[in-house]
Amino acid sequence: MVALNGGVEEARSAVDQARLHAELAEAQAQLAGMSEILSVLARSSSAQDDVFDAIVENARRLCRAQAALIYLVHDGTYTLAKSVGSTPEFAEFTVSRPIVQDRTTLVGRVSLDRRTQQIADVLADPDYGGQDLQRLGGYRSIIGAPMLVDDEVVGVLLVWRTSVEPFDARVSSLLTTFAAQAALALRNVQLFRTLKRRSAQLARKVEQLEALAEVGKAISSSLDADEVLSTIVTHAVELSGTDGGSLMEYDEETHLFGVRTAYGTSPAVIDTLRATRIHVDETLVGRAALSRKPIQLPDLENVELDPHLQVLYDGGWRSLVAIPLVRPDRVVGALVVRRKKPGTFSDETCEMLTAFASQSAVALTNARLYQQLERQSIELAEASAHKSEFLASMSHELRTPLNAVIGFSEVLLERMFGELNERQADYLQDILGSGKHLLALLNDVLDLSKVEAGQMELDQTTFAAQDALQYAMSLVRERAVQHGITTKLDLAPHLGSIRADELRFKQVLLNLLSNAVKFTPDGGRVTVAAWKAATDFIVTVSDTGVGILPADQERIFDSFQQGGRSTAKVEGTGLGLTLTKRIVELHGGRLWLTSEPGAGSTFGFSVPQDPALTAPVPSPEHWRSLPVDDNRPSVVIIEDDASSSELAALRLATAGLRPVVVPTGEEGLEAVHALGPAAVILDIHLPGMDGWDVLSTLKADPATTAIPVVVVSVFPDRARGIALGASDYLVKPVAKDELLASIRRVVAR
Amino acid sequence: MVLLVEDNEKNLKLAKDVLEFAGFIVHVATTGEDALSQARTSPPDLILMDLQLPGIDGHEALSQLRGDPGTSTIPVVALTAFAMRQDREKALSAGFDGYLEKPISVRSFPDQVRAHLRSEDAR
Repeated sequence: MVALNGGVEEARSAVDQARLHAELAEAQAQLAGMSEILSVLARSSSAQDDVFDAIVENARRLCRAQAALIYLVHDGTYTLAKSVGSTPEFAEFTVSRPIVQDRTTLVGRVSLDRRTQQIADVLADPDYGGQDLQRLGGYRSIIGAPMLVDDEVVGVLLVWRTSVEPFDARVSSLLTTFAAQAALALRNVQLFRTLKRRSAQLARKVEQLEALAEVGKAISSSLDADEVLSTIVTHAVELSGTDGGSLMEYDEETHLFGVRTAYGTSPAVIDTLRATRIHVDETLVGRAALSRKPIQLPDLENVELDPHLQVLYDGGWRSLVAIPLVRPDRVVGALVVRRKKPGTFSDETCEMLTAFASQSAVALTNARLYQQLERQSIELAEASAHKSEFLASMSHELRTPLNAVIGFSEVLLERMFGELNERQADYLQDILGSGKHLLALLNDVLDLSKVEAGQMELDQTTFAAQDALQYAMSLVRERAVQHGITTKLDLAPHLGSIRADELRFKQVLLNLLSNAVKFTPDGGRVTVAAWKAATDFIVTVSDTGVGILPADQERIFDSFQQGGRSTAKVEGTGLGLTLTKRIVELHGGRLWLTSEPGAGSTFGFSVPQDPALTAPVPSPEHWRSLPVDDNRPSVVIIEDDASSSELAALRLATAGLRPVVVPTGEEGLEAVHALGPAAVILDIHLPGMDGWDVLSTLKADPATTAIPVVVVSVFPDRARGIALGASDYLVKPVAKDELLASIRRVVAR
Repeated sequence: MVLLVEDNEKNLKLAKDVLEFAGFIVHVATTGEDALSQARTSPPDLILMDLQLPGIDGHEALSQLRGDPGTSTIPVVALTAFAMRQDREKALSAGFDGYLEKPISVRSFPDQVRAHLRSEDAR
């Protein structure tokens, strides 16, 4: 039983195995077919044909049919897209016989029912209406599956057999799968096409944007409007794929458009266009501008031509689009691009050209503004020249009578023509004073207008600061003494030289000083302090006057302000501080004020100094505290004038020597004893012990007699110097090379 | 002897008075033409020349003086109310031997004039 059963089992098993084997083989074949389709799909989503080829080929084979066909729907009817196994005549015939969605054909039924179905024998189906097709195809059994994309039937895959041999469930499901793959392929292709279209659009957009960016760059980097506009026209024509174009500017006064620049257009046509009246009310260009929208003419042949169009037509142009150049408030011009052939311009092209047009509008507006600016600046320059001329002549006209007023007052006050009584002298003094006041006012006005016109030029030199300060002080000392005002010069040691316009520097000092004296009550004090800061030379002028209210401290530097300190006894031009401030600023410096009402005011100003000129001054080094590790040969400079010693020290330092500055003869001797220098530079005019005594002392002392001494003096007394033992004798001013050469010479000896 | 060329009557009088008081012999002219003819007939030691004159102006008068062998060596000093820095430079580069600005200082004017005479003597 068992054995028998086993035998039956074995027999059944052998049958099953054979069936399984066949199914496996078929599944493998299907899999191979699928993977071929899939690989085609993967390989080339664009080549719909390849995919469909693979599908129909595999469908026919695996469904054991004679033909396989793919129909695609378009506008509600189905047409044959791909087939295998049918005749060329059949394929040709189907082109002229689209299949509608009804029950007379299998494609129609599949499309309506949206499911796979067959007709076991088309000749036996009473509803079948495709006899014409059947005659050409010669099929009997036919099965079709819908191609569904997003639940929509986009096509039908069908296979047929030429004998009546209905399809089983396996074929039905296989075909359904193939149809799904075909749909997928179709969808992929559609996606790919969309993608391709989008990326092409994107690429064009990028190109346009790049062109626009270039135009934008041209606009911002060039004020040459023609250059910018021709860049715009060139890009507009090239990007729109047209043959030529022109850019027109609109003149609001004449209502005419004028060709500003053109591209791809013959010179003859440009010339004719320039000569043509393109009126805003009479032309297409004008219409586009007024409607603020692009207007295109796909064919000039079929329209009534305005003067502008006539010129283009005669020049061989057949189609064009006019894009208005508009700003929110007005028409600026128009951009016209043209083709030699008829044709429409796509929305995309018009859109792009509109973008160019708006750039052009900006460029044209900028160009107009620039022209306006240029014209205005010329007018301004003329006005300024007139003003300067006016001031020069006014100055001359005022000076001429002032010369007589001041001169004759002086003549009388000099008693050239006899004695005056007290009252006459007093009145004459008033006339003279008023005349001089007027003259000062005139000078200040002239200076100020020169500064404001940028015509005041500084004549910068290097000069001794102390001298300038003392000079300014000396000019106000008389007046200060008259009023019992104490003046004091509080200068930092080794003040040295300053770089500035010497006359202007003195003018600033004098202005601040005379203000200080003017506004200080009798018995007060005026102090001038000066020192060198890191990069600035700083001067302050302090008084013990009435001070300035905080509210007035701001506006005191404005013209014609004397703050709260204006009193009847104070005269001034009211321009002095304004001018002073401007002169300081012209030097790159700053003028400031600190004041406490009732306690006095301090005006300070700075003059920036070139660090290269002032930094390497080694003079403040004191000989008693010299670093011991300095191996440079030292030279003792015995000199009381700070600016002279500073200069000498600088020269020696740049030559690699160590300068040691000592301001008196007594200290000089001490320093020479202590340091045993390589040489001594000796001034003759010294406070206390003079240079001659120092020289004799050095030469009489065995410890110092061998040290060479170079006398540098304003006195030309070489013979006496040499007689006393000096190695060399130089007369001030000494040139740089002269001093160094002399030192080298005597040290070498 | 100084030839003073000045069209403004009052300024002419002032400069003349001041110079004469200081011991100068002063001849006067009120136009450029007048100055030229006087300079030719009796050459002065120095000419003080206003720049703005009716007819031939100071610059033109100077070039005519320089162009004439009889007057070419007479020192000519500009005496003017033009006070701009460039006016001075312009005058000096045009060949004036000096530049005196109005208003003059009565006290120092004779010395300034004398200085130009001296420099001429020194030549």
